[in-house]
Amino acid sequence: MSKLTPVIFQIGWNACINCGACVAICPQKAGFISPFNTIAVDRPCDIACLICEDICPVSTITHTKAHPEHPILEKTKKQ
Amino acid sequence: MSKRYDIVVIGSGPAGTTTARIAAENNLKVLLVDKKQELGSPIQCSGAVSRHALEAVGIDPDEEFIHEAIYGFDIYNQLGAHKTIDYRNLKPTEYGESAGKKPLGYVVDRRRFDRYLMTQAERAGVDVWLKTEGLSYEPNVAGDCRIQLRRFNEAITVQAKVLVGADGLQSQVGKWAGLPTHIKLQELASCLQFIVDQVETNGLLEIITGHEWAPGGYAWVFPKGHGYAEIGLGVARTMTKHNAQWHIEHFMKNSFFKERFEHSKILEIQGGGVPLAAPLKTQFADNLILVGDAARHVNPITGGGIHTALSGGQIAGNFLADFFQKNIAATSENMKQYQEQWLVALGNKMWKLYEVKTKIFRTKDIPERDEMLYQTMSDYFSPDSEYKKI
Repeated sequence: MSKLTPVIFQIGWNACINCGACVAICPQKAGFISPFNTIAVDRPCDIACLICEDICPVSTITHTKAHPEHPILEKTKKQ
Repeated sequence: MSKRYDIVVIGSGPAGTTTARIAAENNLKVLLVDKKQELGSPIQCSGAVSRHALEAVGIDPDEEFIHEAIYGFDIYNQLGAHKTIDYRNLKPTEYGESAGKKPLGYVVDRRRFDRYLMTQAERAGVDVWLKTEGLSYEPNVAGDCRIQLRRFNEAITVQAKVLVGADGLQSQVGKWAGLPTHIKLQELASCLQFIVDQVETNGLLEIITGHEWAPGGYAWVFPKGHGYAEIGLGVARTMTKHNAQWHIEHFMKNSFFKERFEHSKILEIQGGGVPLAAPLKTQFADNLILVGDAARHVNPITGGGIHTALSGGQIAGNFLADFFQKNIAATSENMKQYQEQWLVALGNKMWKLYEVKTKIFRTKDIPERDEMLYQTMSDYFSPDSEYKKI
């Protein structure tokens, strides 16, 4: 998959230790955070550098390709 | 009408509480907010801090937050050869357990420590709001800034002249100001630690180097009080195909300490990202300064951040006291003086340490790099180290 394809992250909450490393490494703009102090999981990441997956000490972050008709991606297109 | 403060501090860790406390001690009106319900948790830190670091910012080593006293270091290479730097032997009249003698430092409980520091800030007159998240800040024409907060789901706007971002490595405040806060993957160590039972320690911070155990970082065994120990490590993910969890298991099962760890029982699991990086190049903006991890005030060799947070908070608090005396505008230019003061007191030495660190990890030959790290760590913690007080 091209790294430029927007992705949606999934977090395996069972392994997540809430260490904050994914947010610390994330180059996204302010606010790309979940209510559980991880990277956001409810909207696409258009950078898709995936370094949050690398930094995670317990490797509990994965991703799927974001659907092109996701409302946030649609909104970005229109702007 | 919204509430008005001289200073709003976002993030109630060692840097934020120290900034807030010192500003309040200088009669400034300070609001300290933190989104958590209890501070310091989940723990993302090993908790080692020197006694000097506490005393320098007017914090008494209190049993409320101390897990265990520390008297020195033991630095290991990959195979188990080690250099012991025990101040009980090096300076026996000064350091020791007996009456009249002192420890070199402590391993603290970050939950209790951060709460203690907050208490001191509150007693100095700081207003503290927990369960309060910062959402945005906006400088206005009057020379103040508007800070949007959310407290127990309620939207609140607060006016202040200066916003202090003390919101950690995950800092959003720096991003609000458009500061380039992004850290490179090779400079953020991916860390994992276990609090364990049935591993003996001897009042020393043990640091284990070697690419085999912790590529791009190091492993540690720290005393944790009550007979417990802390086993942890940090790795640079650009230097290994495995994650920190794999490495800590490998270290515990296969290193020269495998017999020592054989009967260890895990009591807690903690993790975090630790920057082995340069300080942030710009730690200020209009109506804004950053302190602590948010400004990357972390020792790039050791990854230690409590001392640097406390010292940075003290510098920020004193700077703000002075700044409000002058009654000048909180422009980016005027805020820059904070960073200048910080560089002189601490930052320039941290930049030097960063150069040392970079030289080590740029060395391609692994045995040579391992030897450099072992030597640097051994020198760093020696009594005659030029960097002793960072």
